Amino acid sequence: MPALLSDIVDASAGRHPDRPAFRCGGSELTYAALADRTDRLAATLIGNGVRPGDRVGIRLRKSVETAVAVYGVMKAGAAFVPLDPALPPARLASILRDAGVRHLVTHDPLRQTLSAALDAGAEVDVVIGLSRPLEGVSTTVSWDEVTRAPSGPRPDRTPEDMAYLMYTSGSTGPPKGIVHTHRSGMAYARHAASVYGLRPEDRLSGFAPLHFDMSTFDYFSGPLAGAATVVIPEGYMLMPASLSALIEAERLTVWYSVPHALVSLLLRGVLDERDLTSIRWVLYGGEPFPVGHLRALMERWPHARFSNVYGPAEVNQCTYHHLPGPPASGETIPIGHVWEIAEGLVLDGDAVLSDGTVGELAIHAPTMMRGYWNRPDLDALAFYRRSSGGETHTFYRTGDLVRRDPDGTHWFIGRRDRQIKTRGYRVELDEVEAALLTHPGVAEAAVYAVPEADGSHAIHAAVVLRADSDATVEDLLTTAGDQVPRYALPVQTTLALDLPRTTSGKADRRALQQQALAAAAQPPLQ
Amino acid sequence: MTTAERLTTFIQSELLSDSGAEIAPDDDLLLSGLIDSIGVMSLLAFIETDLGIHVPPQDVTIENFSTVETMDGYLAGRQDAVSDA
Repeated sequence: MPALLSDIVDASAGRHPDRPAFRCGGSELTYAALADRTDRLAATLIGNGVRPGDRVGIRLRKSVETAVAVYGVMKAGAAFVPLDPALPPARLASILRDAGVRHLVTHDPLRQTLSAALDAGAEVDVVIGLSRPLEGVSTTVSWDEVTRAPSGPRPDRTPEDMAYLMYTSGSTGPPKGIVHTHRSGMAYARHAASVYGLRPEDRLSGFAPLHFDMSTFDYFSGPLAGAATVVIPEGYMLMPASLSALIEAERLTVWYSVPHALVSLLLRGVLDERDLTSIRWVLYGGEPFPVGHLRALMERWPHARFSNVYGPAEVNQCTYHHLPGPPASGETIPIGHVWEIAEGLVLDGDAVLSDGTVGELAIHAPTMMRGYWNRPDLDALAFYRRSSGGETHTFYRTGDLVRRDPDGTHWFIGRRDRQIKTRGYRVELDEVEAALLTHPGVAEAAVYAVPEADGSHAIHAAVVLRADSDATVEDLLTTAGDQVPRYALPVQTTLALDLPRTTSGKADRRALQQQALAAAAQPPLQ
Repeated sequence: MTTAERLTTFIQSELLSDSGAEIAPDDDLLLSGLIDSIGVMSLLAFIETDLGIHVPPQDVTIENFSTVETMDGYLAGRQDAVSDA
């Protein structure tokens, strides 16, 4: 078993060189080919000045090159920094500066927007992956040149060295980088591969983009098991009928995504026309799965087991709940048990709470980040140290409110920062959302707070109804009013075709809030 | 206006109104992130109500919807199929 993430590909290439490692849109790299190409990229990076400990940006559309970049950068002794291709130039520039990225791996389709980021103040010296030189950087190397580059010696690294630096997706405030080491990444890769019994015959859905932490399952756990990861190109997220055709053609066995992708498959994926019996595991996480849709999908796919996965990027994954069977209407799905290799506490400030009490979940695990990049102030807030039996353990405060049953089952209550004050009352926005979701006609709901001048908040909701529902806003509020107090009900509820999404596919509540603020700032029509 | 022109006008004015971007007939709208899932649904609603062409779910695919050009070709085929019937 390799000790470093960077050794995973070579280890799997030694065992089964000819098995597919990554596939995307008609391209395939076997483990032998991936080992070879990552050696050459590492040598190219070292030859162009990359030194151990450097941060190298990866900005690529979904492609097999992403895997080459991830492992090539780590083999060069550097840490990779995944970058969302859709980031506005100023935000991209600010992340590149914060991480001190001087080397970047990209490809031609993203050339123009990279230029815009350089204009916005990014200071990149070397760009790998463009076929023509780029103004504003000293060296440009094409993918052709990388493929022809001779491989060379690799620097010695240890498990404590940084392997990747992942920025959180929040759209306001300065960017916040999460530092994962080879040790934390490998602890995750190994345990996830074992929980879901990954084996070389498996074919994983590479659904999450690299900048979304779910991708570590596809990029680390899959290769560790010698499995194939089938990277799903961006357009498929919007075209469920094509997505289901791809799952069928690629005979995917393990699926992992946000619930939204699965709901789209259920509603618009023409599942009657597809044979998707190859799927044996469906992992979902990132947000709650509307329970009516979850039941419908589980009834359609009786051959698959379903697992609700929970964990902030700071700890990779830390709890799971394997569903025993399709849930009943109105049932809530727990986030389940803390991983066997982890320890969880429920806190109120620094006080440890007993079972049955709602508090903040804190996690101590080998999968935990080393800390935030150059932000000791954030580390001080995020880490909780606890001594017992002569040992001090460091816990990460997740910011998530949970309740734990005596049998160790955890129930997600809401984000601590989604707790707001409205007219003097404390309200959990996630609880309001859950209340709306209990109406049988609701497919999805997003509840968000719109700040008001007096420091209070107005609660708004955007709701997507099921196609067969003719429920009115009044109906929804009546149902929700059975579960939350009157002051917690939305003062404005919009019925929408769909919700805005982040690039990872989660409902974008911040975008809804911004729209509401912009609308409030408009002068009334004369 | 031709179907291609009506599609282009709708996409540029209704779906890309913030960015002010112009699209070419062969621009890949899905890959470039120009259109999101709300955009896809608005586009389908436009095709059904304004162009009067029904699009069954199994036809909402990357092959048919990635560019204005492919949409135009697909919709022309749908209209022929309807008028032959």
